[in-house]
Amino acid sequence: MMRISLHNLSKYFGDVKAVDELTLQIQEGEFVALLGPSGCGKTTTLLTIAGFYRPTKGEVRFSDRVVNDLPPRERNIGMVFQSYALYPHMRVFDNITFPLKIKKVPKKHWGTKATEVAKLLEIADLMDRVPGQLSGGQQQRVALARSLVKEPDLLLLDEPLSNLDAKLRITMRAELKRLQKDLGITTIFVTHDQVEAMTMADRIALLEGGRLQQVGSPEELYDLPATLFVAGFIGTPPMNFVEVSLEEVEGRLFVITEHFRFPLLNGIAQKVHRMATSREVVLGIRPEDIKIGQGKIEAEVYVVEPLGRDTLVTLRIGAVGFKVLAPPRFRVAIGERVQLAFSMERIQLFDKTTERSLLL
Amino acid sequence: MWARARQWWNKVASYLVLGAVAAPFLTMYVSFFLRAFGKRMYLGVVPKEFGFANFQFLWRPIAWGLEQTTVWTALGNTVFFAVTSALAVTIICMLAGYALSRIEFRGKNFFLVLQLFLHAVPGQILLIAIFFLLFYIKLLHKIPGVALARASLEIPLGIWMAKGFFDGIPWDVERSAMIDGCTRFQVWYRVFLPLVKPGIAAVFIWGFLFAWHDFIYVYTLLPGTIKLMSTLIQSLLATEVIDYGYLAALSLIYMIPPLLLFVFLQRALLRVPVFGGKGV
Repeated sequence: MMRISLHNLSKYFGDVKAVDELTLQIQEGEFVALLGPSGCGKTTTLLTIAGFYRPTKGEVRFSDRVVNDLPPRERNIGMVFQSYALYPHMRVFDNITFPLKIKKVPKKHWGTKATEVAKLLEIADLMDRVPGQLSGGQQQRVALARSLVKEPDLLLLDEPLSNLDAKLRITMRAELKRLQKDLGITTIFVTHDQVEAMTMADRIALLEGGRLQQVGSPEELYDLPATLFVAGFIGTPPMNFVEVSLEEVEGRLFVITEHFRFPLLNGIAQKVHRMATSREVVLGIRPEDIKIGQGKIEAEVYVVEPLGRDTLVTLRIGAVGFKVLAPPRFRVAIGERVQLAFSMERIQLFDKTTERSLLL
Repeated sequence: MWARARQWWNKVASYLVLGAVAAPFLTMYVSFFLRAFGKRMYLGVVPKEFGFANFQFLWRPIAWGLEQTTVWTALGNTVFFAVTSALAVTIICMLAGYALSRIEFRGKNFFLVLQLFLHAVPGQILLIAIFFLLFYIKLLHKIPGVALARASLEIPLGIWMAKGFFDGIPWDVERSAMIDGCTRFQVWYRVFLPLVKPGIAAVFIWGFLFAWHDFIYVYTLLPGTIKLMSTLIQSLLATEVIDYGYLAALSLIYMIPPLLLFVFLQRALLRVPVFGGKGV
């Protein structure tokens, strides 16, 4: 069990800043997701933690020890790669026991250790096969078994679910989460899929362009995104954004656009007063926080998409499109005019230039 | 109607051209085999009295000038020479190919280009330098020494071949091995070598064939008393009366070991492992 801390970690490839000044603490037994679009530096961060890359600047610490110069083999970590990277010339048993063989664990212990992890991952009956004879899901279990057999202090997962089909992905999501909690191994996983990160991780570190955007629990990132990028990246369908102006009328702060105006709640207004540097801001509101068929904001129905559990309605207010989640049996015709109400306490406001939240 | 005739003519024409190109070589091979098994030739091409008379050397000594040897000694020497050379080529190329494929170091690209350049240098112009080199390290006139010198000619391109095979292994497999506790050498030895078996076989055959067929190095750097097959055949050609049937039979024996090697290593050459996992 290990605590990991990244301190001002930077990794440059020539002029490209793959990871830039990343500071992050990971507690013992925590399950942390490095989330971001491709090219955001999440895999570089993972490979730096694993020891394949040497940080250009900054430190990687395992518990209190700086491990910048420690080769991967001395870090006692387990890692599962996106491609699983099983050894194609070895049987499953030999794949799983390979770390023991290299570590010179006496041969008589191999059987029990391998059986133990194989049972845990339900692959005990595959021991004599070679990787080419396994399905993607089975290969992944073997890769997990291989990474767990040496009882690592830290488990790294690189896009662990992205090579599985959609159904299996949902099953494995839950299984991985349960496994991690049962074993209590500090785990870092990399993903570009925000749903994966939201469902599995204790905390999410969202990266963009090599920089940390926000770190926090899934709820924190969802309810109070620190930047415009986080707000747009987390959640499907994504948050709606509209450029608005703020104006003070008779002691109340109003949000004003060409098409609608409404006063902000006092709590939000106070925060905005403290933070705002300009009157021009970006308002964000999630699709489920808009109520259709009540309120004073007028909109025109652009398209209706039934999703089964609810109905996704795209609306137009002037030239701005809004996505709204309506009840499942909600029926409305294209071109019809409807009334909208925003849930006032769920409104997000961002600075237009810094793109940072005004509510933090 | 015309189109069909045209098609037919195109086909015939291509066979005619290909046949004409192949004819001299086919004639040579046919004549070579016929000569090996015929004691006398009629009009120089039609053999008379088929049999194994030409293969007497298999149980009798072979003499040239005042000296003599047996075909078995010469074959043994050739196998020793070719295997030593091929092993040297294989070991060095497998190490260098891995390093050039996986490790970043200063001057790597220069080194790679240099290998191609070295390959373009004909071996003969190095003969004098190699003569003195072997002389000073006391390996001149010894089969292992000359075999190593011969190996150096095939190493440049062999390194490129080996690098190509290592390039085909995904990085994740290497990283996986390092996470599992391997040092660089263990990655090479325990994971990569088993995965590039076809490459090892290819490089070995490459080194073996060139050494097996070599004449100029063997002729120049080994004393006349140590005969390899190539120099043995040459010395028989240099005698006053040339027995072509005898030479053909001897050459046939010379051809067999490389063919056997191909048959033997064919399985390894064709066995390409499936890498990584799904979607790789």
